[in-house]
Amino acid sequence: MYSGPIIDCDVHHARKSDEALLPYLSAGWRDYVSGRGPAGLVPLTVQDGLPNPHGFMRAETYPEGGGEPGSDYQTLRRQLLDRGDLRRAILTFGDDSHVAGHHNPYFATELARALNDWSVEQWLSLDTRLASSILIASQLPELAAKEIRRHADNPRMVQVMLVDNPFNYGFGHPVFHPIYEAAEETGRPIAIHGGAGGWANPASTGGGNVNLYFEAHTLWPQVVMTHLVSLISHGVFDKFPKLRLLLIEAGSAWLPSLLWRFDSEYKGLRREVPWLKRLPSEYVAEHVWLTTQPLETSPQRRQMVDLLSWVNGSERLVYSSDYPHWDADEVNNVSTRLPQEWHRKIFFENALNFYGWDEADLPLTATVAA
Amino acid sequence: MSVDVGPSSDFAEKELRLVHAGRREVGVVRWNGNLYAVNNYCTHRGGPICLGILGGRLESDRPGSLWLDVSRPTLACPWHGWEFDLHTGCALPDPKIRIRTFPVSEVQGRVLVDLGGTEIGPRGETETPAIQTLNPGAA
Repeated sequence: MYSGPIIDCDVHHARKSDEALLPYLSAGWRDYVSGRGPAGLVPLTVQDGLPNPHGFMRAETYPEGGGEPGSDYQTLRRQLLDRGDLRRAILTFGDDSHVAGHHNPYFATELARALNDWSVEQWLSLDTRLASSILIASQLPELAAKEIRRHADNPRMVQVMLVDNPFNYGFGHPVFHPIYEAAEETGRPIAIHGGAGGWANPASTGGGNVNLYFEAHTLWPQVVMTHLVSLISHGVFDKFPKLRLLLIEAGSAWLPSLLWRFDSEYKGLRREVPWLKRLPSEYVAEHVWLTTQPLETSPQRRQMVDLLSWVNGSERLVYSSDYPHWDADEVNNVSTRLPQEWHRKIFFENALNFYGWDEADLPLTATVAA
Repeated sequence: MSVDVGPSSDFAEKELRLVHAGRREVGVVRWNGNLYAVNNYCTHRGGPICLGILGGRLESDRPGSLWLDVSRPTLACPWHGWEFDLHTGCALPDPKIRIRTFPVSEVQGRVLVDLGGTEIGPRGETETPAIQTLNPGAA
């Protein structure tokens, strides 16, 4: 078992209620949301997800005082932050992460701004171990870029998160480039979180929409594959050479075969993409990291380790729990499935390097408000 | 060993001709006045590369920007589309991979291909190929 320092790269925090966000909306948008009389509030999250028959959360993570899992700091602290030598947890929002799935791009932009302020004030102030993703409404990329730059001076707003896709093209399409320009300029990585399928248009998977959560959850990596291929094919890493990319909750066992195929395709089809100056796998080796969760389970442990070795897994994987979701991976479980010599890198050092942190800057113990 | 593959007049600008040179099939082309000779064997999968498409080199410095570098003759194999630079023999997408090229010269109105010290091709090459001419009028 691993007992060293830990950075958890995917922790979902949530609002206690819709009312909790109202103070962070501008007066006009607050009235838009709350001025419906008996109809109640305009929904703040997109509504068309596929239901999980278990529920999306681990049953024991529901706070005793009520509210959604991830909405109560003391519960999260007891169940996650204070277990083991956790030095930093990166917050990735819950249902709010699907802000780019809203049909109304102006409302989504205001929500993203408000949610980021809520995250800073209501969470980062509580515990020095916490860092937050920057949510953006990618429906309006220029305004999303502005939102990224608004957080440039807050070192605890550590990455730009993309989940849902508001357009019918992969994330490499030039329409998204203002986001990458701002991310590179402010030194923030892009983090693509799997799981957009079923919450928004366009089709949640290649080939068509799925009907069951079972299908959607199985195919989450497919969506992220689309974005990875798109980002490289459109030359994003040549245009933004300092950009780093983290693929969250998309698995990793698929990456070797995708790269074998991707490199072969490039050799035959270079004529279509002469702007690419290297093999696709070389861009991945320089710019892309992946979270561990959900770590695929091979029939024999060695098979998964062999696969990950093809993509330098000991250097490219960063640990993530996905707390408080039903399919979360604990440190103990992950540590038994990966070689011991990988542990310190995957649980700590790789994330340290990815985010550009110095170990001395991370608190050994939490400084907790109240 | 140099092999006479025909009169200079047989080799018109930018028209690749497939000729016998010893036991080999060799594609010979004049490009911007310079002669190039290439083994008709793609080192990717053994395809008849000289039956592929010859052109300049398509270049770019960013998505959407394309230009043709006509100074770089480029041959794309008909099997799987790998492109090779006839100057160097290197594959454009992966310069570690090369096709075999030969020195060519013109002496007294004849084109000579220098096959080096051997006629034995690498494994998989056809030793007694049928001659195919991509430019029948000059045959």
